[in-house]
Amino acid sequence: MIVQTALLIGVVLFSVLAIALRDVLRSAISLAAASLLLGIVFFKMNAPYAGVFEISVVAGLITVLFILTIALTKAGDEVRESRLVNWVFPLVFVAFVAVDALVMKSLLGKVPALAAAAESGTFGEVLWKGRTFDLVGQIAVILAGVFAVLALFRKREKHD
Amino acid sequence: MTNTWYLYVFFAAALVFAGLLGLLGKRNLIKLLIAIEVIGKGVSLLLLSTGFAKGHILTAQALVITFIVVEVSLIATALALIINVYRHTKSLDVRNLAKLKG
Repeated sequence: MIVQTALLIGVVLFSVLAIALRDVLRSAISLAAASLLLGIVFFKMNAPYAGVFEISVVAGLITVLFILTIALTKAGDEVRESRLVNWVFPLVFVAFVAVDALVMKSLLGKVPALAAAAESGTFGEVLWKGRTFDLVGQIAVILAGVFAVLALFRKREKHD
Repeated sequence: MTNTWYLYVFFAAALVFAGLLGLLGKRNLIKLLIAIEVIGKGVSLLLLSTGFAKGHILTAQALVITFIVVEVSLIATALALIINVYRHTKSLDVRNLAKLKG
């Protein structure tokens, strides 16, 4: 329990740093650190597959994509952020966390839970038999992403 | 079990709110995408923790994996769009996108 709490505090801390830091490269790296800690939390929740996906895909692949984009858009770094936001962001966030701590426990008791049969079998069975349609959707989404990136980076034709 | 669920939901709400604040306040396009990522982290933590608390961790894992795949696709497309925007406007400032001139 204590380990989980420490890990979750780390996730929130690194995520807030990722948003608040001025340097975009450091932001991307602290986002990767948050993903890594979240992956460990998933492992602790007995969800090894989700943990592996979180660490390999989100902490690995997405960070590489972010760093690549930052390298390709180097001169655009000097976007002037509003000063007011730099002051207001931590204050509002701390206020929200305080309200969250006070209210969330009573809210959770009011959430209706649908009755469902207990799970049985392995993860593979649930994924391939129970959520087959999700897998088809995943393939469609990956293909859509690939075609979108190809369309965005296509070369101009000569007569343009 | 409810105590752990409370803990996870508390942190998931904090992550989503931090992401929303980032989306509202930041002007750098890459920062906005990072804020979307943070919201995504909160949502996947919420999904998995609810599955864990209610004894449906396998279904929750399947949903989180689907969510991560969708997230990667979204980020790849959005980053490609950002690179194209940068080529056109030579800046990553989101306010430049308000000038919708063909």
